[in-house]
Amino acid sequence: MLHDIQVWLVNNIIAHSPVAGLMRTAWAWPIVESIHFLGLCLLIGCIGTFDLRLLGMAKRVPIAAMHRLIPWGILGFVINASSGVMFLLTEPDQYIYNPSFHFKFLFITIGGLNAATFYLSSYRQVFSANASLNPPRRAKVIAAVSLTAWVSVIICGRMLTFYRPAPCNGQQSTILLECAPPLERATR
Amino acid sequence: MNIDPFLIWLESTALSQWVVGSESMFAFPGILAIHAIGMGFAVGICLALDLRILGVAPDVQIAQMRKFIPVVWVAFWVNAISGVLLLIGYPTKALTNPVFYLKLLLIAAGLVLFRRIGRRVFDEAAGDARADSPVVQRLAIVSLVCWVGAITAGRFLAYTYHRLTALG
Repeated sequence: MLHDIQVWLVNNIIAHSPVAGLMRTAWAWPIVESIHFLGLCLLIGCIGTFDLRLLGMAKRVPIAAMHRLIPWGILGFVINASSGVMFLLTEPDQYIYNPSFHFKFLFITIGGLNAATFYLSSYRQVFSANASLNPPRRAKVIAAVSLTAWVSVIICGRMLTFYRPAPCNGQQSTILLECAPPLERATR
Repeated sequence: MNIDPFLIWLESTALSQWVVGSESMFAFPGILAIHAIGMGFAVGICLALDLRILGVAPDVQIAQMRKFIPVVWVAFWVNAISGVLLLIGYPTKALTNPVFYLKLLLIAAGLVLFRRIGRRVFDEAAGDARADSPVVQRLAIVSLVCWVGAITAGRFLAYTYHRLTALG
């Protein structure tokens, strides 16, 4: 079932990709990669420092003041989601069958759900006018999970190259396809 | 100056061959991952400081951001060490490529700017006012440019080298 979706995705992306032509021009790929790394730095520099603040670093800075950096961290995430999608739409089989990409996606999801949990559970306690400079323990756990998730995303991203999917040659993966079945060539 | 004998020797050392040839995920892939994490924290915090100087998060007392300096330096040294290991793995690839020297230059400039900016703004009483001065604003912009350049140069190393190994 999931295998069929993966194969369908890869073949459809290859058949209809709007950016593959652009991405295969000279230097496009390295330029988008550089932008992806810059987004990474923005995300860690703004969201990571906010997490460190929740965990007790720079204790005298009000949390609400520090939070003003977060939109720039989100900008980093948006830059990376967009540039990441450009890689995916150019070489879909290199990602959709890559176990490192599956884990990267998992950690991005954890990071996102974790951030949502922060705003749903701790927003009032952390941001109210009389909020303590020391956040509740729940917020600290969320900050630790956030740091761990984003660092894991970096690790998985860097590992992509080393887990490039090999041709399937008959073996069957378990949950997700982790090898590359032959591509359906367009018959146009 | 022909540095090939040195490169050939370096590539023949056990450490170089471990970095490049080991099956272990702690060798080349692990070192690369650590290098990327270090970049995220070192460059990321420098970017956050530059953004603060340029007007983002104005309620953060800028002198308080000095509490993050140790993170920048730990991350920098993690990257200096992981970078040297990557260099020992592929010395010819880096040392015969001008882009590598450009990357080092931009990192050096970024660090000098970080210290200069810090000397001016990490002051409890006067930091916030000094951050608004045109000099510091300019330093912050140049700092942003240096870090964007260093990241781009680093990424382009994978695409601009002329020789992978001394004997290859």
